[in-house]
Parts: sequence; structure tokens; C-alpha cells
Amino acid sequence: MKKIEAIIKPFKLTEVKEGLSRLGVQGMTVNEVKGFGRQRGHKEVYRGAEYQVDFVSKVRIEVVMEAGLVQEAVKVIQEAARTGQIGDGKIFVIPVDEVIRIRTGETGKAAI
Amino acid sequence: MIFAFEELKKSRKQLLSMLLTSQTMDNFQAHHTGNMDQYFRVSLQESQAGHRLFSKRTPFAFLAVGGYGRGELSLHSDIDVLILFGSKIPGLAKGLTEEIFYPLWDLGLDLGYGTRTIKDCIKLSRDDFEVLTSMMDARFLCGDSLLFLDLIENLKKKIISKRKPIFARWLEDLYQVRMDIKGDASVILEPDLKDGIGGLRDYHYILWLAKAFFDLAEPRDLEYSGKLSHNEYKALKDRLDFIWLVRNHLHQLSGRKNDRLNFEYQEKIALRLGYQDCRDLLAVEQFMGDLHASMADVKSLNRTFIKSHLPKGRGPWKEAEALDLVKGLHTYQGEIRFDSATVILSDPLMLMTVFEQSLQTGYPLSMEARRLVSEFLSLLDNNFRRSEQTVGDFLRIINGGHAFDVLIQMQEIGFLSSFVPEFGKIENRVQFDAYHTFPVGRHSLETIRRLKGINKQKEMLLLDIFLELPDPEPLFLAALFHDIGKVGPKHAVRGAEIARKILERMHYPGKATENVLFLIRRHLLMVETATRRDLNDEKSVVQCARIIGNPEKLRMLYLLTWADSMATGPGAWNDWISNLVQELFFKVLNILVRGELATDGATQKVQETLDGIRRISVRDEGIDPDPFIEVMSPRYLLVSTPRDIVRHIGMAQGMREALKNDTVPVFAFDARENPVEDCSEITFLAKDKPGLFADMAGVLALNSVDILSADIYTWRDGTAVDIFKATKPLDPIDPDRIWQRVRQDLERSFKGQLSLAYRLGQKRASSVLYNHEKSGRLSQVVMDNSSSDFFTLIEVFADNQVGLLYMITKTLFDLHLDIRIAKIATKGDQIADVFYVLDFQGQKIEDEAHLKEIEEALHYQLIQE
Repeated sequence: MKKIEAIIKPFKLTEVKEGLSRLGVQGMTVNEVKGFGRQRGHKEVYRGAEYQVDFVSKVRIEVVMEAGLVQEAVKVIQEAARTGQIGDGKIFVIPVDEVIRIRTGETGKAAI
Repeated sequence: MIFAFEELKKSRKQLLSMLLTSQTMDNFQAHHTGNMDQYFRVSLQESQAGHRLFSKRTPFAFLAVGGYGRGELSLHSDIDVLILFGSKIPGLAKGLTEEIFYPLWDLGLDLGYGTRTIKDCIKLSRDDFEVLTSMMDARFLCGDSLLFLDLIENLKKKIISKRKPIFARWLEDLYQVRMDIKGDASVILEPDLKDGIGGLRDYHYILWLAKAFFDLAEPRDLEYSGKLSHNEYKALKDRLDFIWLVRNHLHQLSGRKNDRLNFEYQEKIALRLGYQDCRDLLAVEQFMGDLHASMADVKSLNRTFIKSHLPKGRGPWKEAEALDLVKGLHTYQGEIRFDSATVILSDPLMLMTVFEQSLQTGYPLSMEARRLVSEFLSLLDNNFRRSEQTVGDFLRIINGGHAFDVLIQMQEIGFLSSFVPEFGKIENRVQFDAYHTFPVGRHSLETIRRLKGINKQKEMLLLDIFLELPDPEPLFLAALFHDIGKVGPKHAVRGAEIARKILERMHYPGKATENVLFLIRRHLLMVETATRRDLNDEKSVVQCARIIGNPEKLRMLYLLTWADSMATGPGAWNDWISNLVQELFFKVLNILVRGELATDGATQKVQETLDGIRRISVRDEGIDPDPFIEVMSPRYLLVSTPRDIVRHIGMAQGMREALKNDTVPVFAFDARENPVEDCSEITFLAKDKPGLFADMAGVLALNSVDILSADIYTWRDGTAVDIFKATKPLDPIDPDRIWQRVRQDLERSFKGQLSLAYRLGQKRASSVLYNHEKSGRLSQVVMDNSSSDFFTLIEVFADNQVGLLYMITKTLFDLHLDIRIAKIATKGDQIADVFYVLDFQGQKIEDEAHLKEIEEALHYQLIQE
């Protein structure tokens, strides 16, 4: 089992979510986050005061799935989230040791 | 014992079914209390210990205290009983309690009891006012009634009469603690029915105060003694009945004593009470709206009662004298009062004046004044609403610094919803989710409050923007009415329509009205755009800018967006969203300030162009233009004619088809005469890649096509649209031959089979026509990074030469710059070029050194020979 963590541009959330749904991915966790990579924040000046934003607002999606689905899921996310401009984000694939459903105690694949 | 117990069990069952089947309080409390009273009386009569005490002539009394004493038992409320003895507690008392009380625990009732002498009671009450209030609510059940009266006498004489001010202070402190811990139940999502502000404790506060200060015995005495008017008392009882009803259902559903109305219970109770989902509001939303309204009334009544009847502390108003305000009103001890009721009758407009004076003086209305306003609300007719004077006063209130304090009073009294009936319709609407903290009416007032209190430390930008507004009045009106359309879906648009009627009624001036309506109609625009559109895409921002139209409206909209979100709930505004909306604000501002793309003229022109495109494509080709229009950039649409655009669409369509067939290289090429401007027009479409423009320029130069002007655009799907205007070709008889060669050269260049640098170099060296002389004029390169948020602008001025454009664009390519837009112009033998560039990662060039390098490199090329 693997966990996919994707940092994407906020307005791409709906597209990515729909793409994953079509793939059969059943659940996900979504967070509002801020960060920066090579996309720099920008600076504005208003009435003599500087307003510098260093951390850009992004959305983080976390999904856990069977390893076999990962390759396709990554492709779907990439296609949906891409604008071609800097700041499109990154996808991380992380191994998962165990998954447990709290309500029933199921583990492994059945708990995803 | 058994008999009494069984009776109690049976009657409790009846009570439960009564609750579940009826939808009103009916006599639930009377029954419940009566059942318990019956139990105690009968079981006392049956008890052995009781008989023994009687025979020993030891006087004792059973008293109901606390909530039980008040007769206000809910299903799982505590039952507090006191066994009172005269001077000494006999040993038999223990037996008595065992016989009578123990069985009750078996029934699951929460029983609290004490065995005390009168002296004990006095001592405890002196030390702990909570015990005192419990005693004040005491009610005789059975036993020796003289003992009970003795207790009450002692309480009054020894404690209450001596400690009134301290007691009053204790009561108010308790209120503050409740406010701090439980919050204002009349507006929060999961209210505490007892301890929340507006809850049952507000009523108990009134009762205890009245009992201590006015020696009242029964709740009914509040009316009898004139402390509350008949209407006020009736309203209070109705509200309380409703809250008790809800509380009983809450107890039943939780299976225990519980005052916290959590989400999970709200829907069930709404259905039990007979609420039904309707088109615009869920059952639970109607229910919670009613509950909040009831609790708001209780809260309001409590505050004015306390204010009126608590002894005044030493306030800033030392004078006990009345101070006259305008005719008919005066202030007294920090409150505004009417001189008399006839003041209102003879001039109903005073109903608004009193609030205006509240704003001016900073003093609230007295309880009596509030009562008078509330009683005379029927005088508010359309003449009142349209009157220039009342409207003027109202606007003054809206604009005042303490607008919120006055508006809250207006709302609590019911004046606001009478003056603006449309507001009354949405006032108590609750949105059933964890996102919205307040009902709509209160939320609107909170929005105004935020605008009035922008903190300089935390929100410097917003404050600066606010201070720049020439007239914030439309903003305040928009804040008040922005959710007035929440009677149904699409509340923003609907709200604007409703607000228009209100403003017409107020004879509000036209231009300002348009601003108010714009703000209401578009109050969700900035958040929606910031979270759902790509802010790096110029087109998204331009579209938003066109809707907004000018910087003043932008400023007001940004302020309203912020205030609305802040007043919605804790989840609605945070750093994350603030970043996005602020970014949008600055980008839209820059577009509006620079002009060109988002002027009214621009918006209209684009619209006409779009209409033209659709008209022509339908007529001619049957190509669906919309998918193409979607990706066309703002400048392209602004400048090109519909006919040309349709032609380009055709070329793009052809390219798509060629792509499918895998023909390489893929580009579309069209050259034709432009008789109007007496030149040739060459249109070139290809998939954009860095260096494309350079290649194009190079090929044209190679073929001696003298470029007069060029417009380069890049569509959002990556299609480059290059439009060149050139002098008529060298061979006027057979121009097509030239174009053929150009096309071939392009193909070869794309395939990498043509070296433009080499060829052009050769051509220049050998050309007799080439002018090797320098004219005395200097060339100029200007780097501009501030005119656009989306591109770095590079302006080049120089003498015209063959292949100059190629050299410039090639240089830019070598420096890893991607030309997205370009405007090439020649005037005589001078060129004036503007290039909008991005680096290969799609960002503006921020690095100072890089910018310098570009400038130097271009300059070098220009002076090069």
C-alpha cells in the first residue's frame, strides 16, 4: 500500500478530485497549506507600504491506495493539476505499513 | 411507600408519552412537579419515621428548592429537596431520608437533598449565594408550614436586606462568567439552553433580583407589580415555554440531564416539533432560527430589566438630573428616554430620532424607551419608511462610529425589521452547517461592525484602502444588505434586486445605488475567483477586472469580502485565503490602473467582437468557435477583427487535423494582400515553443520581406499566432512565388535543415542594398518589470536593419526568454518593439542581474555591426 501526497494549486482541486474519483479512488484528505518551492512569492507596494507574501497558498491532497493503482493515480493527478507554469506543485509517493479502519477494526486492503 | 413509588413510576411514563406526542409544553412542568409533590406528600404520610417524628412533636418541613422549588422541572432535571428542622436535627432524620429518598435513586432520578436546621440554612446562605438563590426559590411541600415561614423571614431579615448590593454584584458577575464560558446562546450554533446567554439562567437572574429587591414571591408578580408590562411578561413566558419544550426533548434524546443542544439533536427535535423542510429552508434551520430568536428576546429582556432595576454604580453621569436632548427626549443616568408616550404619538418620526440620538450621545435606550418603541412599531408605515427625515437619520446611523451598537438595539427591539421589512424576512435565517456562526441578521450587523473596527496593526492594508474611499456609505449599506437575498438560491443576484427596491424607497441617489447593488451582486466574486481560477493567468484576472470596472469599486469589494468572511465564522478567513484574495486584489488593481485591458470601452469591444465571431462562423463554416474563444488571450481579442479571428480559427482547426495525421512540421501559414493598408499580411500559427518568433522573423528577413509591424499572441492552449504586416514583396507580378519560398524555408527551419544565423550573416555581408552606415541616433533598450504582473516587458528602439528583428529575438531566445506577446512597429527607418516575455519556467524575470544581462546583450546586438 502506498500513500500519495500531492501539493497542487488551489483552483485545481476540483479537477484532481474528479480525476481520482473516475479512477475509483474512494477517499482522500485535503488540507489548506502554504509553502514555496522555486515559485517565488511576490511583493506589492501600496501607499508606501510593502506587502511581501513568501508562502504561497496551496492545497495538499493525501490518498492511500494499493500499490498497483499508484502509477495511474499519479498520472491522473499530474494531468489534472498541470498548468505548465511554475508552481504546479509536486507529488510524493510514500510507503504505508498498515491501514486500520477505526469503526470495524479491518486492516489492510479492506480498510482503504 | 410502595404505593407512592408505583404511582410515581406510572405518572412518569405518562409524562414521557405526553412529551412525545404533544408539540407544546402544555402542562408538562405542572404535571411533573405535581407528580413529585404527590410522591413526597404521600410517602411522608406512609413513612414510619415520619410518624415517629410526629408523635414526638418534632416539627419538620419538606421543602422543594432550586428548580424544583420554582416548579420548572425538565425530564431529567435534578430534584432538590430540603428537610428543614427547627433547632436540632434528630437521629430519626436519617431513617426518614432512607425511606423516602432511596427509592427515588432506583428510579434513576437525580435527587439532591439536605437535612438542615434554620440556623444551618442561614449560615450557608450567608457564605454562598448559590445556596441563597436555591433557598429563595424554596416551596413548601408538607410538614410544618410555620417552620418554612420562619426560614423565609430569617433569610429576608438577616441576609437579603443587608446584602442587596453585594448580591446584585454577584448576580452580574455570574452573568459575565456565563458569557465568557458559554457564550451568547442566541447566536451560536450549539447553544447551551440554560447557562448560555439568552438561556434559562437569564430568567432566573431576573427572578432572583426581583425577589431580593422588590420582595416578589411568584413569577407572576413581575407583571402584577408592574416591573414588566403585560406584553413583556407574556412574551417572556412564551419564549421560556419554547425553550423548556426544547430542553425536555433534549433530555429525552440524551437520556440524561443535558443543556447543550448539539447538532445531532437539532434535526430530530425540529421534526418532533412539527417543522418541515420547505423549498428555501430546512426544518432544522427554521427551528434553530426560532430558537435563536426566542433566546435573543430573553437576553434582551434580561439586559434591559437589569439595567433599569439594578442600583446604578458610580458612572460618568454623576448628575441625577435629566439632560434634555432634542425635543421630546432626554438622557438620565446614562440612558435615553422619551419625555412621554405622547411624544411618539404626536410625531411618529421620533421612533427613528431616538436611535439617532443614541448614536450621537453614545447612550443606549432605557428599558422604558425600548418598550415604548416596541409598542408603537405599528406606526411604522410606508410614509415613515420613505420620509426624508427618517432616511437621513438612518444613514447618519449607518455612517456613525457606533453604528453597530445602535443597529443591535434596533434589531433587538424589532425596529429594524419594521423599518426594512425585507431585513425581517432573512433576519433569523440560520444556515445549518459548522461554517456559519450567526443567523443572517446578526451576521449582517457583524459585517458592519468589522468595517468600523479595522485594526491598524493586524490589517494595515485594509485600513489604508478604507481610508482612501471618498465615501464609504455605499459600502456600509452593502454590508447591511448583502445577504438580504437569502430567502432563496442565488442570493447575491436576488439580493441586489431586493436592495434596489429598498434604496428606491429611500430615494437613494442613482450613482451610489449602482455601487451598492454592484457590491451586493458581486460580494462573492473575489473569493470565488481567488480559489477557483488560475491567478497566474492574465485572462482570469482580466475577466475579473472587467466585471469590477474601476479601482474604487475594487477597493469597496475587497473590504466587503474581508468583513463578510470575518463575520461568517472562524473557518471563513485565514492566512491561506487572505493570501489568495490579496494577490487577486493587487493584480486586478494593476490591470484597472494601467487601463487598456479592462476599460469600459475594452469590455464592450470584446463583447462586440465575440458576437461578430459567432455570427460569422455560424454563417460560414459551421465551426464551433467557442472552444477556441475559451483559449484566446485578452489582448488578442481586443485588437483583432472578428473576420480575422474566424480565419485564424480555421487555420487552427486545420492544424489540429494535421496533428492527428502526424504531419510534421505543423504550422499554418497564410499570406495575402491587405489593400487597405497597402501591405502584405502574413499570418502564421504554430504550437508555441521558445525561439519560434525568431525563426519566423529570420525566414522573412532571409526572403527580403521587410517587416513593417508584427503582433504576436499566444493562446492559452499554446498556439502561437503571429501576424506580420510587411511591405509588398519584391515581385509584384508573382507574389506567390515568394510566399512559397517562405513556406519552404519555414519547413526546413523547423526541421533544423536551415541555419538562419549563417544565411542571414551571408546575406548581410553581400548585400549591396544593405546600409552599413549608422544614422546618428542612439538605440535604446528599456526593461520594464512593473507595468504587468504577468510579464516582463522589454522595449527596444533602434535603426531598422535587415534581420534586426531576427537578431533581437534570437538574443532573447539565447537568454532563455519566451516571447509571449510582441508588438513590432516601424516608423521610417526606426523600429519600436515591445516584447512581453517570461523565462522558460513561465515566470517574470525577477533577478536583477539577469535583467541587466538582457539589457546589455540587446544593446550590444544593436550597436553591433
